[in-house]
Amino acid sequence: MLNRQVAPKLTPIKSIDFSVPEMVEIHPGIPLYWKNNIANETSKLELHFNAGTTIETPILASLSAGLLISGTKSKSAIQIQHALDAVGAYYDVSVSQEQAIVTLYALNSYLKQAFDIFHEAFTSVIFPEKEVQEICNERQEKLKVQLQKVNVLAQRKIQQVLFEETPYSQVISQSDYATVKRADLIAFHQKHYLKGLSKVFLVGDLSKEVMLEIKDACANFAGENLKPIKSEFTGKAHIFHEDKSDALQTAIRIGKIMFNKTHPDFISFSVMNTILGDYFGSRLMSNIREDKGYTYGIGSYMMENTHFGYFMIATEVAKEVREATIQEVKNELERLQTELVPAEELELVKSYLLGQLLKAADGPYAMLDLFSGVELHGMDISFYNKYIQKIQEITAEEIREMARKHLDWKSLSIISVG
Amino acid sequence: MIHFERFKLENGLTVLFHKEASTPMAVVNLLYDVGARDESEEKTGFAHLFEHLMFGGSVNIPDFDGPLQAAGGESNAFTSNDITNYYDVLPAHNLDTALWLESDRMLSLAFTDKSLEVQRNVVIEEFKQRYLNQPYGDVWLELRPLAYTKHPYKWATIGKEIKHIEDAKMSDVKAFFKKHYHPSNCILCVIGNFELDFVKDRVNHFFGSIPKAKKTSRILPLEPAQDRFKSKTIVRNVPADAFYYAFKMPERKHPGYYFADLLSDIMGREKVSKMYVDLIKKQKLVSEINAYITGSVDEGLFIITGKLNEGKSFAELDKEIWKILAHYKTTLISKKELEQIKIKLRTARAFQDQGLLNRAMNLSFFELLGDANGINEEQEIYQSIHAEDLRTFANHLFAKKNGVLLKVKKKKNA
Repeated sequence: MLNRQVAPKLTPIKSIDFSVPEMVEIHPGIPLYWKNNIANETSKLELHFNAGTTIETPILASLSAGLLISGTKSKSAIQIQHALDAVGAYYDVSVSQEQAIVTLYALNSYLKQAFDIFHEAFTSVIFPEKEVQEICNERQEKLKVQLQKVNVLAQRKIQQVLFEETPYSQVISQSDYATVKRADLIAFHQKHYLKGLSKVFLVGDLSKEVMLEIKDACANFAGENLKPIKSEFTGKAHIFHEDKSDALQTAIRIGKIMFNKTHPDFISFSVMNTILGDYFGSRLMSNIREDKGYTYGIGSYMMENTHFGYFMIATEVAKEVREATIQEVKNELERLQTELVPAEELELVKSYLLGQLLKAADGPYAMLDLFSGVELHGMDISFYNKYIQKIQEITAEEIREMARKHLDWKSLSIISVG
Repeated sequence: MIHFERFKLENGLTVLFHKEASTPMAVVNLLYDVGARDESEEKTGFAHLFEHLMFGGSVNIPDFDGPLQAAGGESNAFTSNDITNYYDVLPAHNLDTALWLESDRMLSLAFTDKSLEVQRNVVIEEFKQRYLNQPYGDVWLELRPLAYTKHPYKWATIGKEIKHIEDAKMSDVKAFFKKHYHPSNCILCVIGNFELDFVKDRVNHFFGSIPKAKKTSRILPLEPAQDRFKSKTIVRNVPADAFYYAFKMPERKHPGYYFADLLSDIMGREKVSKMYVDLIKKQKLVSEINAYITGSVDEGLFIITGKLNEGKSFAELDKEIWKILAHYKTTLISKKELEQIKIKLRTARAFQDQGLLNRAMNLSFFELLGDANGINEEQEIYQSIHAEDLRTFANHLFAKKNGVLLKVKKKKNA
């Protein structure tokens, strides 16, 4: 007879198989990583360029990324899009603070054709004036909508204060659009795209010849591949509130500059961060959503760049509980700093994190993303074995130490809008 | 091709199993055949509020998420107007944990007052965050009752108004559970590197003893045929005037559903669609434009939406939109364009099928429609559509009396 009150026995995860993609060098210091044992006909090509928002200005980075296949002397944007559509390919560009990433998705039998279409359009793009105007109009309209959202306003503000006096603090304003000149976009493209390739990721069951052809074609975009310049952050904590009388909720962001994977505390801090706010059963969720009902969601995150990382707590709460929420966040941090995490909770989080890592390594696409996370820092896949080991070993005392050492309340900036 | 096995327990639970040998993970997906369309008009938002309560502990297990996380897994759920879908993703060797948790909450919930009170507040904050405190956030709260007069699609999943959620009583919650949460109202799908006998054994072990209850037949108010074009204007604090044309389209099981889906793909194509080229590039009338379908089980909506550029009027737009619709009614889509859309669909589908969770949700949804194998037949249906089918269909779809228009007007001095 089934006794429903007794939980099934659990089997812990002891080790995970990580596989490393094949690497060929496009140019000294510029790798192409290839994962080719794919059991289906999907394929993906990712080109990473040193063309993020910090390299010059966010407006130039954002608009050039949006116009990479906007037309050549002989082909219009529409013709190029039709050509990509004809091979069933999807094209996407994303821009972060340090990188711009072009992604092509296609069935493996069409990937090379999609790449050739992209390659020609991208190499010979002339940034037609009409296309520039169109994208400016579209982006300005979208920005207007964004700037009405309290979460967007709070996010922009905390970015401005955490990274003040560095390129990382820059955000796009409406007035930036009037300053854009076609010649600047062309220059940006010349410098940061045509000579700005940093690496390539390829997934797909393709022939070696196709892979090598793509590699050779990418060599044209190789330049110096310089790492981002290291910024010095002030480390000052700011407290800022902007009232919006018509808002129904207040967005809160609490954060500070932190480290990335290269720091010896990174793994221990991540475990502490998970307990605090990085899973559904976290302390912030349990207290502020599941006990108080102040919010639909609250979480804490670690973000990483080449030379640093940052830590952030984010939520939207009922307007009248803004201060109560901030107080509860403070209480939760203090609890982590003064009390030891109970054994059961720590065990749960350890198992949870290992299960999530197993999932993150499941399948070629996921595995390549996982690899990309360490490759960025010049580390290798053995990081994840260390991660598993550290998670298995970490003690409640170490968790408390992480909270004490890195999350002093006075060191955190607190932004609220709404 | 997605291979699957189907078996049924004596208590009426339908089980689908799809073996995927390459993964160390397992997916457990439960689709309950209940959505916002099953609510009464005085108590809307209930199916969704209930989804939240399903995480508040069950009859024998005080906490749902804790044991699943301790097993290395994660869980979530969503509610639509048609269904409520729960899923767990966890390491395959801990499959039992997910089946144990899901079977206990199918058996009965803990029904604590605290859980109800807290989740009411959480859902109210969700209501504000997603629908009220965003520019254009309340559009669907307005568009649904404009398009539907009788059918329960006239309210959104989140509910008609916050008050309905505030007023939810424990007795309502219990009655809702009894009616909708039992084996014969659920489709369970398991994916992982298992053998069929093993899955049968484990599912029977945990779900076999849940009592059978009768599946209630669904009798929804029929939406009367629309006889005239309707439009409504609302004034909001938004940065630009926005428009939402909505045309009634066939239900999910009707062949016309596929025509509508393909036509929306063609009309909504970024950068190259006729709407994009004419209205954005040539006339500079709008800053964005899109077309999509709601994809609902019952009669759905074909939406054309966008935002006007500063200084352009709804009247100018309206003239152009009807010109474009007339184009699709009279002109055949070129062979080349149709081929492009079809191959894009193939690519998109191949990428969707990559995800285990996606496969589980799709298999379950097709089973709800009548046969999980529909997942393997859909591509063929799309690939066999002709330009003539689409033109004929456009003539029905874009009949003026079949449409409604919601205009969101920018508040002066906003």
